[in-house]
Amino acid sequence: MSTIETETHQDSTTQVRVRLTTRDADLALPPESSGPILVSTGLRRYALSTLVNTLLESEKPVPFEFLINGTFLRTSLDEYLTANGISAETTLTLEYVRARVPPSHIASF
Amino acid sequence: TIHIDSSAGAEDDEAALLPRSADEARHLWGHYESITRDLSLSLTEQLRLILAPTLATKMRGDFRTGKRLNIKRIIPYIASQYKRDKIWMRRSIPSKRNYQIMLAVDDSKSMGESGSGDLAFETLALVSRAMSMLEVGEISVLGFGDNVRVAHPFDKPFSSEAGAQIFQQFGFHQTKTDVKKLVANAISLFRDAKNKSSGPSGGGDMWQLLLIISDGVCENHDTIRRLVREAQEERIMIVFVVVDALRNTPGSAAAAGGAGSGAGNSIMDMSSAEFEAGPNGEMKLKMKRYLDTFPFGYYLVVTDVRELPGVLAAALRQWFAEVADTA
Ligand SMILES: [Mg+2]
Repeated sequence: MSTIETETHQDSTTQVRVRLTTRDADLALPPESSGPILVSTGLRRYALSTLVNTLLESEKPVPFEFLINGTFLRTSLDEYLTANGISAETTLTLEYVRARVPPSHIASF
Repeated sequence: TIHIDSSAGAEDDEAALLPRSADEARHLWGHYESITRDLSLSLTEQLRLILAPTLATKMRGDFRTGKRLNIKRIIPYIASQYKRDKIWMRRSIPSKRNYQIMLAVDDSKSMGESGSGDLAFETLALVSRAMSMLEVGEISVLGFGDNVRVAHPFDKPFSSEAGAQIFQQFGFHQTKTDVKKLVANAISLFRDAKNKSSGPSGGGDMWQLLLIISDGVCENHDTIRRLVREAQEERIMIVFVVVDALRNTPGSAAAAGGAGSGAGNSIMDMSSAEFEAGPNGEMKLKMKRYLDTFPFGYYLVVTDVRELPGVLAAALRQWFAEVADTA
């Protein structure tokens, strides 16, 4: 079979589908925003927390932590995918929980 | 290309790179061909009806002799003292029009994971069979993901064996979905195909259609939109068939025991979240409905292969009508 090669463009951004879930009924997303969301793989905890707060329309933002397959996300999504050998073709299930101790590095995006 | 070499060694090398064995592919093709047979026939019939008027002969002027008088030419004829005597019409043979239809099938992993691969195989069998029964032109099949592969070239006749060879090349394992690369490559392949067929014997018009079969999840919408416009300028029509196998499955939010389900995994429920720099440099989150920024003007969302002949025929009817108007 023939494979056609083309130059790689610089504007390529990688995106991944995420599905946000929680075990806390009080923090559940409204049904209309519970579908999959396409986000940049460059996102980290802080940006994802902003995303959840936006979807919850919270007046006072709550800091969230994120679990993927039971482990806390401490890197960008991209680094997580690379470290675990997962392609961006997957839908990542992100479970969000209220952050227990407010993270000190809150400004790190 | 998929042409099997005469040398056994090359054949082995080639086969080792393919996601499926020839036997498995033949079996799969047989299966999908038989379950979509009636739908294929229905699509062929609908397309035949769409194409029939464009292929019919018409009476056209202006000749010195002919079968029927052109009424509009009579007065100028008399006024010119019988000098402008091309007043007859003849039955003209319509200009030979060629169609090239390219089916581009998403071979990325997301297709396999969502169960859309099955729907893509059904679509591929249905459409390629219908087009080949119609005998209006040439068919090509591409696979895309990380890279773009020609699974069936325009100049090769279509048959069941060709169908099996196409299936052999799809594994739905590719780790990227580069739609931008697909559209760019399709444009250049169409350009080559047009040049090849408009040689000394060609001469007729060439109408080119790209049918993309994919779950529709792709990035870089702005760049893709520019390429779609470029294709349009070269008279390449692009119809994006979004196969949405997940439409009716419940979201995994409910499955995980969490509260709040409602929306499923369907592309119809999908949104995109982007951080954009605000006026003061602060990052603002922008949420959009995914399909609102979808770069393809003509797209159809199909959840069941049985919907395909109808919606596809409607899209193609529109296309052929535009084609017939400009011819
Ligand atoms: Mg994909």
